[in-house]
Amino acid sequence: MDSKLTPAQRKKVIRDNVAGWLFTFPSTLVLFVFTFLPAFIVVGLSLFDTNLVGKMDFVGLGNFRELLASGDFWGSVLRTLYFAAGSVPVAVAVSLLIAVLLNAKVRGRTFWRMGFFIPYITPLVATSIIWLYIFNPSFGMLNAALHFVGLPPSRWLSDTVSAMPAMILYSTWHDIGFAVIIFMAALSKVPTELLEAAQIDGASGWRTFWHVTWPMISPSTYFVVIIYTISAFKMYTQVAVLTQGGPVDSTTTTGYYLYQQAFGQMRFGYASAVSIGLFVIIFLLTMLQRKVTGRKVFYG
Amino acid sequence: MTTMRQSVFWNKVNRVLLYLVIAILFTVVVFPFYWMIVTSLQPQDVVMNVPPELWPRHATFQNYIDAWKFAPWLRYFSNTLFVAVASTLISLATSSLAAFAFACIDFKGKEALFNLVLSVMMIPAATTLIPNFLIIRTLGWYDTFYALIIPFAASVFGIFLLRQYFMSMPKELWEAAQIDGASRLRYFRSIALPLAKPAIVTIAINSFLGSWTSFLWPTVVTQSQNKQLIEVALNTFLGDNSQQWAQLAAASVFTTIPIVILFFFVQRQFIEGIGGGGIKG
Repeated sequence: MDSKLTPAQRKKVIRDNVAGWLFTFPSTLVLFVFTFLPAFIVVGLSLFDTNLVGKMDFVGLGNFRELLASGDFWGSVLRTLYFAAGSVPVAVAVSLLIAVLLNAKVRGRTFWRMGFFIPYITPLVATSIIWLYIFNPSFGMLNAALHFVGLPPSRWLSDTVSAMPAMILYSTWHDIGFAVIIFMAALSKVPTELLEAAQIDGASGWRTFWHVTWPMISPSTYFVVIIYTISAFKMYTQVAVLTQGGPVDSTTTTGYYLYQQAFGQMRFGYASAVSIGLFVIIFLLTMLQRKVTGRKVFYG
Repeated sequence: MTTMRQSVFWNKVNRVLLYLVIAILFTVVVFPFYWMIVTSLQPQDVVMNVPPELWPRHATFQNYIDAWKFAPWLRYFSNTLFVAVASTLISLATSSLAAFAFACIDFKGKEALFNLVLSVMMIPAATTLIPNFLIIRTLGWYDTFYALIIPFAASVFGIFLLRQYFMSMPKELWEAAQIDGASRLRYFRSIALPLAKPAIVTIAINSFLGSWTSFLWPTVVTQSQNKQLIEVALNTFLGDNSQQWAQLAAASVFTTIPIVILFFFVQRQFIEGIGGGGIKG
């Protein structure tokens, strides 16, 4: 093949190759050192009992055996699923409601949309602080509001039963804007002819929504559900600020458990095994998302 | 006639209801910010009142002064700004170069390399936390700005987005430039990059926000006060003043305001970046 090239063409091929590898080198190097390499190292570390500062005992699959038998690990997974089950349906319902309302040709849409979106871009630490105050059992705003409507107060973050619901409330508030934007984009892509046709056929607003809009936007709904579930497993910051996993582990989700085992207990080998467990969970969820949203759900 | 007048009436009722529901939801979502500001202006004894006072009748800036004096915030702000700007600029440079090569240059192993880069997205940061901590320590970067910048010096999202932009540019442009004798780098700098400006803005905002709000990673790889980033410092401030709600609110306000101001300027690009450009403001 090369023999057919003129010297000028051959020069260009060489230069293209040099330029191509040179231009991609910086990114590739960073990704290699800080993502690929760590993926292998974490597997290696998971086979040791190590505190990274001297102790380095090979234990084979011991960490995984401990992990699979660990009530703490499975407890953290269950709590994460509880968090997801409590937050995701509410987030989907409320954000979809907001998106539908904002898509109904309202005035000042940019302004409203910005308000709903702003919690999402504000830092978790700063907003967690104000929610700590809002959740305060003695003089917090939330108990004052409950008192105002005649409901009994709650101890919110200081009680093993109500701490997780409080965490769900805060996180749903913080992240709702992302789903609003996804749903607004999805709704704007539903062909207006289809909605008009349904109306001409005499379908009510409700029926049009359930039978036309809802199936049409289902890929976005699945996307939101799975992305929010994945982020539940990665969640760390709000747990660290609001509860430090307590009271009595009641808000220790898997992401926080991983951090605790590594940097709290200095059990880096076992925590590496937890990392791999977390990877498997997130990987399965990502595959599910690709499978489900890649398929054109509304034709099925 | 009556039915038409009735339907006009019901339409109006519907519109009023629509705005009412939006306004209620909006108030609920925005209220914590209002509450943050009101609390930051109250005298400390007032914030412990039951029921809480919804309006600052004795507004004071004392909390801001006290909170500001408590810690070297200016140092934290400059650290955060430096780290955010540096990681944004470096990752923009590396990703645009790589994206350009993937989109416009033919080189051996391009497909394989691109697929490898994309596969990085399957590895969540939570999984690589511990090995990255080890790598940073091995490199001797523990408690340095390198640890906060270099791991974010490449962006798969950035490469992917910019590649789309560069691929959608007409091929004739590149061919014409080559006939004129323009080098790859010159074409990249003077033609390709300016055309990809919307993507660059989206990536820059994402990277900047990511640095500004980062918490877990700086907690893990820094220690000394003069390397501290703003959110970590705020959490430390919380630990030191756990019941000083007025001062805590004041510190939350002044650490968040730069991000909110930035957002006001770029909200359109940012939101369209998430929604995939499908919605018009």
